[in-house]
Amino acid sequence: MNSIAGITNMAQPPMTTLAGRSSDKTGKPAEKILIRNLDFYYGDNRALKSVNVPLYDRRVSAFIGPSGCGKSTLLRVLNRIYSLYPHQRAEGEVLLDNGNILDPGQDLNLLRARIGMVFQKPTPFPMSIYENVAFGVRLFERLARAEIDERVESALRRAAIWDEVKDKLEANGLSLSGGQQQRLCIARTVALRPEVILLDEPCSALDPISTAKIEELIDELKDDYTIVIVTHNMQQAARVSDYTAFMYLGELVEFDTTGKMFTTPGDRRTQDYITGRFG
Amino acid sequence: MDRYRRRRLRNTIVMSLSIIATVLGLGWLVLILGSLVFEGVSGMSLAVFTEMTPPPGADGGLLNPIVGSLMLTVLAVLIGTPIGIMAGTYMAEYGKYAKLTVVVRFINDILLSAPSIVVGLFVYEILVAPLGHFSGWAGGVALALIVIPVVLRTTEDMLSLVPKELRESATALGLPRARVIRHVSYRAARAGIITGVLLAIARISGETAPLLFTALNNQFFSTNLNAPISSLPVVIFQFALSPYADWQKLAWIGALIITFAVLALSITARALSASGKSS
Repeated sequence: MNSIAGITNMAQPPMTTLAGRSSDKTGKPAEKILIRNLDFYYGDNRALKSVNVPLYDRRVSAFIGPSGCGKSTLLRVLNRIYSLYPHQRAEGEVLLDNGNILDPGQDLNLLRARIGMVFQKPTPFPMSIYENVAFGVRLFERLARAEIDERVESALRRAAIWDEVKDKLEANGLSLSGGQQQRLCIARTVALRPEVILLDEPCSALDPISTAKIEELIDELKDDYTIVIVTHNMQQAARVSDYTAFMYLGELVEFDTTGKMFTTPGDRRTQDYITGRFG
Repeated sequence: MDRYRRRRLRNTIVMSLSIIATVLGLGWLVLILGSLVFEGVSGMSLAVFTEMTPPPGADGGLLNPIVGSLMLTVLAVLIGTPIGIMAGTYMAEYGKYAKLTVVVRFINDILLSAPSIVVGLFVYEILVAPLGHFSGWAGGVALALIVIPVVLRTTEDMLSLVPKELRESATALGLPRARVIRHVSYRAARAGIITGVLLAIARISGETAPLLFTALNNQFFSTNLNAPISSLPVVIFQFALSPYADWQKLAWIGALIITFAVLALSITARALSASGKSS
């Protein structure tokens, strides 16, 4: 229960409490995003209850918890994708570099260019592989053809899919396998050079080999990006993340370094979930 | 054992009834096509496409109604398709949760099943009576009123079938809504929307009632939309009711032309929607 108290207290004087809590051996990472007293409603249904959590710059934070606990909802708040739907609303604060993204004046398209998202189901657009990546880039930057080519190639390389598609860039994105499609979606996101990448169960529709590739990729991407991943797979959270948050019934039960969460969790519920004794 | 035999017996009975129903249903179609071909093909010649409708007893063809029908159809599609597609887009994309959508959908369903003669009378009242003469424009508008509900319905349905994940991931790249619709939703629904337009063309190419009070008919060659204009269905109607054998023959030929044009459109629409599904 101590750690929950720690999280809740954090809301008041965040910096000091956080600094005190940080046990990352590589030093104290900066907060890229700070979520404070976040409530989320689907109509009248309160799906998130006063969530407080920091997301550190250039670290991987994993959210775990049983289905319906609110972890995907939390992710959907971070790029305001929920704003597509009426009757969905968030209350509280989500500070991205100290600016509250829940402000009504927030430019959503710019926000989404800064915070990219990859979804559970691979969703290549019905166009060529090249266009899938180039399309978003052209929207935000006026680049010469050669520069776009370069950007597409580097994004596809970063997503570890270049070698598989370099000879068929004009093929339809839908012709790729599921794992390739998902990496194409990651490339598409990376090409916009966002600051944060949100991954919503990116491997749940993939086979183990594709999963391994994407996990390696996450490990490389964290050098440049702040990564937030929602996963059902606890081994995956343990493998790829630096920090882990456990959510249950819309509440953030516990947040700590992944090492600590998986060895000596502070909350009984976390321990039960991690050891598979939940239910 | 007894139960097994009863089940088999029941299966045989239902199966036989289904087959009989299918044969009855399809049989009429085969008979219609058969009699059309039987009566029509013998009179088919180049003259049908190059000569005017003749006075009784003289040689002639169906050039003026063929050209008239093509012009009316093109006009109707030019007027009706943009309205139908835009309204369908509003309903599926912008106003998905709006009350207006529910109202429009209800009214559209009524329009979809409205007797076409009512449409003809309506256009007579708003265009023919005030202007004092029958015209191709009035005919085109009447047919457009039949095109709109068909195109609107298929556009809305097809856009609603575009997975919301696809729309979300385009939005998550920071694309404004208009671009999401134009580059992603339309692309994904393209085959379906085109199919809707083709089906609407098929629907109007045989319509007679809306043209009787609007475009009327013209026994001379005319491409003037301000004047009455000939059309295949109306010529068939007139010639088939006449006592002259050569006119009746031309009516059969006209019916054959329309039927095969519609058949070709339907097959194209089928092929398109099949290709849309596979990609």
